[in-house]
Amino acid sequence: MTEAVRVPEETVRHDPVPVEEAAVVITDLSLWYGSYQAIHRVSLTVPRNQVTALIGASGSGKSTLLRSINRMNDLVEGVRVEGSVRYDGVELYGPDVDPVEVRRRIGMVFQKPNPFPKSIYENVAFGPRLMGFRGDMDALVERALRSAALWDEVKDKLKQSGLSLSGGQQQRLCIARALASDPSVILMDEPTSALDPIATDRIERLIHDLKRDYTVIIVTHNMQQAGRVSDRTAFMHLGRLVEEGPTDLIFTNPRHELTERYVSGRFG
Amino acid sequence: MSRVLGREERADPARADRPERPDMLDLGGVQARRRRTTERAFGAAVFVPVFLALALLVTLLFDVVTDSFSWQVIEPRNSGQSFSFLEGFAAFGTWENVVRLELLAQGRTQEEVDALLSDPEARRVFGARNRVELMPWVDGRPLRWFVTSIRDDGVADLPLFEGWRRRAELLAGAEPGQVVLLNAWLDLGFLAKNASRSPAMAGLLPALVGSLMLVALVIVLSVPLGVGTAVYLEEYAGDTRFARLVELNLSNLAGVPSVVYGILGLTVFVRLLGLGPVVLAGALTLTLLVVPVVVVAAREAIRAVPDSLRQAAYGLGATRSQVIARVVLPNAIAGITTGVILAVARAIGETAPLLVIGAAAFVPRPPDGPLSLFTAIPIQVYTWVSENDVEFTHVASAAIVVLLLVLGVLYSLAFYLRRRYESRW
Repeated sequence: MTEAVRVPEETVRHDPVPVEEAAVVITDLSLWYGSYQAIHRVSLTVPRNQVTALIGASGSGKSTLLRSINRMNDLVEGVRVEGSVRYDGVELYGPDVDPVEVRRRIGMVFQKPNPFPKSIYENVAFGPRLMGFRGDMDALVERALRSAALWDEVKDKLKQSGLSLSGGQQQRLCIARALASDPSVILMDEPTSALDPIATDRIERLIHDLKRDYTVIIVTHNMQQAGRVSDRTAFMHLGRLVEEGPTDLIFTNPRHELTERYVSGRFG
Repeated sequence: MSRVLGREERADPARADRPERPDMLDLGGVQARRRRTTERAFGAAVFVPVFLALALLVTLLFDVVTDSFSWQVIEPRNSGQSFSFLEGFAAFGTWENVVRLELLAQGRTQEEVDALLSDPEARRVFGARNRVELMPWVDGRPLRWFVTSIRDDGVADLPLFEGWRRRAELLAGAEPGQVVLLNAWLDLGFLAKNASRSPAMAGLLPALVGSLMLVALVIVLSVPLGVGTAVYLEEYAGDTRFARLVELNLSNLAGVPSVVYGILGLTVFVRLLGLGPVVLAGALTLTLLVVPVVVVAAREAIRAVPDSLRQAAYGLGATRSQVIARVVLPNAIAGITTGVILAVARAIGETAPLLVIGAAAFVPRPPDGPLSLFTAIPIQVYTWVSENDVEFTHVASAAIVVLLLVLGVLYSLAFYLRRRYESRW
């Protein structure tokens, strides 16, 4: 970025999401790490059973915003949050809400594949076991692995270490692990940034399939990826939400100068 | 600046004061030769301490092992019906049985023997002190011949190599009835025998059992304390003043001389809690000594667990205790175990704190529980080394070999565990 462009206090919005379609509603969310404000009064409505992409340059706060949806930021010392995140009408930052419960409903997939050094089976069964699942674990593991398009590749080696898989397979294992806890929202933090193009393509197709059953929010550095997988896109800059709306509109008809520059690849 | 310096630049008179830059490919030149010499000298200098350390280690092992053998000229002064204590021990198991057989062989009736052996005072005397000395107390007659070994009456004792050189001399010089033999002080009997004032009779059993009980108790006590502290510091405590205080104390405690722990143990466990100088008091004292080491090792192991695994578990809705129990500790277990074993290896060799809390120098029988009086291998070695009798040198050497073997087993276990669990990463 060569010249300063004022970031507007008001977010530019295209085609707002109807209230009845909303899964996650973020209202006036601000977040501080100690005295540093990482997010400035962001409001964003995430529609159910769609893929929403958060894009923006490094340090724009998109990962932080993603992590505040399932309260992963609570784990960071010195974090302070103001504003509201509602999921199915429930205030996630309410006084009686247990962050553990939030994370069980809103699953997460991380940037770097991080399977546990356990068997493939135990990786998938980890979440259900945490919740004291007593039912048919084999069926549940198979279902999760099928949903993550990994079953055919691993069905004969469920007892092998999750770390024996390739990077792309590991990431799909992590997706299966998140799905096994039966969340309704899945947060993905740059899930393909550590993968090669073929593995990336598989994950992207998987994301496309997942939205039938899940609401997906994905942070990505890769604008082509945002264009390929998402229904709606939100562009963040320096902790502010600059512009959000249907992905095709954001890419073809951005209204804010910063968005226009970013999606055309002129900075970031 | 960034341009590679070429020949024409070296010739530049404006840079004449710059040191001459050597040719890039100065394969046989003075510079290269000098460089190689320096490299070799440096390598040699680094190797010298390694060589010295190895030489010292080999010398120590050689010395200790050869010292646990000696050539002896023995004069069996026993009555014809006697047998050695060892044979009796092997055949009949307990010293009571040996005593019973011998008393019967002397012509006592079964009733008299039963009465002697069931008299608590006589038993206490048998058990608590050297039987050889105390036999007269039992019935006014010296019974020395049946509890002492034939080896008791050594005429000469020569070191392994000197004895081998002068074997002919020894054999020629032996009077009728005397026996020349190579005595291996470290045999299975040495591990099975109780303590004795006589070197030939002295065994390591009480000290060995004492040390093993200490180690078991130290593990049981120090693992929860040490791992708990490490988990608290790594997973719970933030950068609070209290956490920093604990950390500061831990690093200081690790450097406190072990005698000081002995005084602490003496004051708190032996006196204040009134335990007396028993196994438990010793184990508690050694636990204090060892916990800082365990904490440091456990913290390192816990810190080595990648944060991405914690994040993954939290992301799946694990509570903090679930993250610790299911992700952090299972992945840190190899490091923790290794740390505990190394700490225990330190504890097993500690002498000073145990001496200070008043561990007995002479314990005739192994402790039967955590509240018995006890001795440990290093204390036993210390006691034996300070004896006048030259034969005790061999006994002490044999005990040192046992101590080194126990340490060797512990270190191998640590090595094995580290190798085995590390392969999972």
